[in-house]
Amino acid sequence: METIVSLETAAAPRRSSAVTRAATGVAAGLVSSLFLLFLLAPLVGLVSSGGVRGIAALGNDHELRGSLARTAITATIATLLGVIGATPVAYLLARKRFRGQSLLAALIDLPIVIPHPVAGIALLLVLGRGSPVGGALYTSGLRVVGSTTGIVCAMLFVSAPLYVSAAREAFVRVDPRFESVARTLGDDAWRAFRRVTLPLAARGLTAAAVVMWARAVSEFGAIVILTYNPKVVSVLSYDRFTSYGLSETLPVAAVLVLLALIPLAALRALRAGGRLASS
Amino acid sequence: MIALHQVCARAGGFRLVDVSFTVPQGGYGVVIGPAGAGKTTLLETIAGVVRSTSGRIILGDEDLTHAPPESRRLGIVYQHAYLFPHLSVRENVAYGAVSDSIVNELSERFGVNALAHRSVDALSGGERQLVAIARTLARRPEVLLLDEPFSALDPRTRTTARRIVRALYQERRFTVLHVTHDFAEAGMLGDVAIVLDKGRVIQAGNPADVFRKPASPYIADFLGAENVFVGEARPIRPVSPDWLASGDADEDQVQRAVAFTTGALTFYALGDARSGRMHAVIRAEEVSLSTEPSMSSLQNQFRGVITEIAPAGAITRVTVDASGTPIVAAVTARSVRELELAVGNEVVAGFKATAVHLC
Repeated sequence: METIVSLETAAAPRRSSAVTRAATGVAAGLVSSLFLLFLLAPLVGLVSSGGVRGIAALGNDHELRGSLARTAITATIATLLGVIGATPVAYLLARKRFRGQSLLAALIDLPIVIPHPVAGIALLLVLGRGSPVGGALYTSGLRVVGSTTGIVCAMLFVSAPLYVSAAREAFVRVDPRFESVARTLGDDAWRAFRRVTLPLAARGLTAAAVVMWARAVSEFGAIVILTYNPKVVSVLSYDRFTSYGLSETLPVAAVLVLLALIPLAALRALRAGGRLASS
Repeated sequence: MIALHQVCARAGGFRLVDVSFTVPQGGYGVVIGPAGAGKTTLLETIAGVVRSTSGRIILGDEDLTHAPPESRRLGIVYQHAYLFPHLSVRENVAYGAVSDSIVNELSERFGVNALAHRSVDALSGGERQLVAIARTLARRPEVLLLDEPFSALDPRTRTTARRIVRALYQERRFTVLHVTHDFAEAGMLGDVAIVLDKGRVIQAGNPADVFRKPASPYIADFLGAENVFVGEARPIRPVSPDWLASGDADEDQVQRAVAFTTGALTFYALGDARSGRMHAVIRAEEVSLSTEPSMSSLQNQFRGVITEIAPAGAITRVTVDASGTPIVAAVTARSVRELELAVGNEVVAGFKATAVHLC
């Protein structure tokens, strides 16, 4: 009899904990679904409303086609410049210890956290025709403000910090002893970097470049301050919205969303490749 | 030759402080020390991967203190092979090789020929280490730095790897500096043993001397000396010639017979004229056991009771309680059988005065 009583009393908390677990699961599922709905609904709505029209517009809307090409080209140039200029910085931050390193890392991250129109204003101050640098560039025939050069500068400024951060992580993941071994096997520092570190960090560096490109494509705030015309897609969508209203904006905005899917797909492919390689 | 003169260096949390030693040309140096002693930092400093902040590093007959790693004509093999994962096995071996023929020869000798086109990710731990050693030797280094390269291998692969490296060393007589935790390996391989602790060389010399005559109780303990006693030393008289018949005595030192008292025991040792509180170290291998006092040249013989018998492979460690002082003897399994040793039995533990090292 005693045994039966103890079994019953033990079963009661188990049932109660099962109910609690089920309730928690349902609540977590509901919250997650709402969150995902919040993220996806606007994008799905945008693409479903304007996607087909946007793709169709690529055939006859010269301005959209031009701005799309300009966006892709300027983002690619900004990314290439970023990769060339920021890779050594990322390597330095990953491998060396020096005074002021944390300050330098924080300064490099700054463009990520400041409002992007503020970044545009800062660039305007340095590269505008009234500034010494901007004046000198203008005199030598390189106009920054109101040109594709300005677009590239704005894209580079706001997106390169993302590259530095991701590239630094890619280098940190490569054990420096691989380089040490290569050095003792006869490589000088540059050769060891080129033959060992770079190939081992390549996947991470490519992912960093893709993230930078994606961020450059979606930039608006800094570009609109520096170069309203010629227009990139983000500025064009804003321009159509303020000039013609929502209906005319939808195809442009939808094309921008579809364009952003390209780097996302590339990133997924890179990560899947990485998992396959490491498995 | 590897010669370090008061080398200081720092890498992360590890430091080297005034490190000096010499491994002669074609010699085999063994570095031993506890974890965190700075052993890997020492090898990396010699390799030039870690920069020395002061002192001189001579390799061969050249001062290469400030030379970059690629100019030092040396190779390093780490405990973890650090094979380049983006290259095949053959590409790894050929990475810094002086010729294709040496790649073929070493791949053959290390038994990795059949793996040539495999990805290094597909190799076992032992295979990885063999490829790493082959890769280093394919450059024909004049100095080989080994950072516990055999410690992660299974016993069979370890024996194979050790045998091949030893054979190559005999053939080519490159100078070796080998970090190991394995005292047997150190004694077996080394011409010079260097004991490192907290970034400092605390003893260097012939491995037999380092093991038999540790410079401090700490080293004795670290090197696994079972019998380390603290007590009072008292020089009693010039040493009698028959004590020195074994040739164990240090000819540079004026030797005296010393009475060393620890607990209720007093035994004879060789020492200088100093008296006072010291440590006496006796390796277990130097202690013999018998059922009755022997008439041999053992100056120290103590009757006691066996308190523990611990077999360890071919050797058995027997602890004898002699008037409250435990004395450990390392004897063969055959001796255990022949003497019918058992816990509780009475035996005589004996050792020569020359087997006692005072420090």
